[in-house]
Order: sequence, then structure tokens, then C-alpha cells
Amino acid sequence: MEVDILELSDRSAKFVLSKVGMAFANGIRRAMVADVPTLAIEYVNLYDNTSVLYDEQLALRLSLIPLVTDLETYMPQAECTVCGGEGCPACELSLTLSSEGPAVVHSGDLISSDPLVQAADANIPIVELKKGQKLVLEAIAHMGYGRDSVKWQAGIACGYKNVPIVSVENCDACGHCAAECPKSIILVEESGAMVPEEDLLKCSLCRLCEKVCDINAIKVSFDENAFVFTMESDGSYTARDLILNASDVVKGKAEGLISILDQL
Amino acid sequence: MISVRCFSCGKVISNHWDEYKRRVDGGEDKAVVLDDLGITRYCCRRMLLSHVELVDVLSPYQ
Repeated sequence: MEVDILELSDRSAKFVLSKVGMAFANGIRRAMVADVPTLAIEYVNLYDNTSVLYDEQLALRLSLIPLVTDLETYMPQAECTVCGGEGCPACELSLTLSSEGPAVVHSGDLISSDPLVQAADANIPIVELKKGQKLVLEAIAHMGYGRDSVKWQAGIACGYKNVPIVSVENCDACGHCAAECPKSIILVEESGAMVPEEDLLKCSLCRLCEKVCDINAIKVSFDENAFVFTMESDGSYTARDLILNASDVVKGKAEGLISILDQL
Repeated sequence: MISVRCFSCGKVISNHWDEYKRRVDGGEDKAVVLDDLGITRYCCRRMLLSHVELVDVLSPYQ
């Protein structure tokens, strides 16, 4: 397996994963979306709400706020070894919010009982309070999996495509393919059409160039064992941590399978 | 209130609403503002483009 990082920032990453099968690539993708646990608000105790939003709408908005997650400190509630799922400091934490209008309540106004766990973005508007409107609540956040609810989904727009291979033979440099290419990556020179190496990964494998070519000079294929991955994180983990955690999840599942097979 | 996340992909978009509204009201092109804010996918772009803020309309009827 080889990893070639093309772009890496705090919240997003793009990399080429090669010399692996499609099942493995898809395993990583699914783990990023569904199997890396994150913290999200699960219960809300509302003490006062005279805002324009119903309690349920407020709870939904609160739940969708990504919280910076520490995978070491918290564990998913159903798997909690300390309390067995009852709720304890190892699997849940509380956040409080108290505000009076006129004001816009932002995610940064949530006061967390754990200073390490904060809203990933402090400027997410929760509700706008007019003069005299009040909002007082306590929210309980749990660890959970993206497969159970979108609020626990850390990976956003995780996807991959095969690394494209564009080959040109006996080209008459008519330029039809270059005109047809929606990504405009085909250059026509005297010797014929070609795709510069730095633009090759932009190819979406649409094969319009193949169809428009009268003499079948251009061929688009792909490498079955190399993938261009794009992924974003919602902020609960950095992009790098999310990829590493997803890999750990896949590894953990594989080890689980081995131990089951050993017992047979 | 603007939805916290994009309905389709789940990206948090509501934190860009204030800046988007301010700049669009100031006469800037919506497409340029969205590009500046780093909202590249069309699922996320429609969230801001099509949002109608109703808090001011609803607030007298509490």
C-alpha cells in the first residue's frame, strides 16, 4: 500500500491510495463516514425557551453542531465499560447554555463541562433571540457512530475514484476531444492530443473524448488498484486524525475477524 | 434560521451565513462570495442560495 498526499489541511484532505483493492478503499471510506465515533448532543433539558424555535427544532440544531472529540477520553455509551450504558463521565458530558435577547445565540456560547470539548466552529448560529426572549438549557453529549445518526458522522463527502489512464495512439490532432472534454485537460499539439501529468487526476473518466474520436486514437482506462481519495472532516477531528482513526477501525475489525476465525 | 449542515453532504454551512448575507446585501456576486467562503459543492451552495430567513417574520406571533 502506498499513500501519496496531494492536499492536506485541517479540515480536508486529498490523497492517492495505491496498490490496494477496491474493497479496502471502500472500507476506509465507509469507516470515515460511519464507524469513527464522535461526540454530539443527544439529550437536551430545556429550562426556558421563549424563542421562535420549538424545543425539538432547537434540539436538532444543537445535535448537528460538531464537537471537538477526544477519542481517548470518551467511549460510545453502549460500549462503556465503566457504567454499562447508564451514562457516566467516561461516555457523556454536559454543556450548558443561557442567553437572553436581543442576541444571536452561537455555538460558542455553549459552556462545556470539559474544557477540551468545545464546538468545532464557535460561530454556528443556534437561534436569534428578540428582546425579552430567553433560552436556558442543559445539553448532554454522547459518543456515537455515524451509522446511527448524521450528527455523529465525522467524515463529509468522502469519496474516491480510480486513477485515470489516458493513452493516445496515431492521433491526427483534429482537436475534437479537447473541445469535448468537460474538464478541459486535453492539450492538442502538432504531434497529437495529450493530457499533462499534473492534470491527469482531474479526469472524471466520462469518456466523452473516446466517443467523439472518429479514429479511436484516444483511450481512457483506469488503474484498478489506485484511488484518488477526497474527504473532509466536520471538525470533530482533524482530517489527518480522521483518516488514521478510520484505518484503526478497519484494522480493529480485521483483528476481530482473525480472533473469531482462530476460535473455530 | 439557516440549517446547521448541508442536507446532502453534512458540511457545516450555517457558520458562513452571516458573512454571506452581509456581503451579498453589500452588492457582491453570490457565486464569488460562495467561492471565497470555500463552499464548492453545489449541494452546499444551494443551502445558502435558497435560504429565506423567517425569524423576523415569525417573532411577533409568539
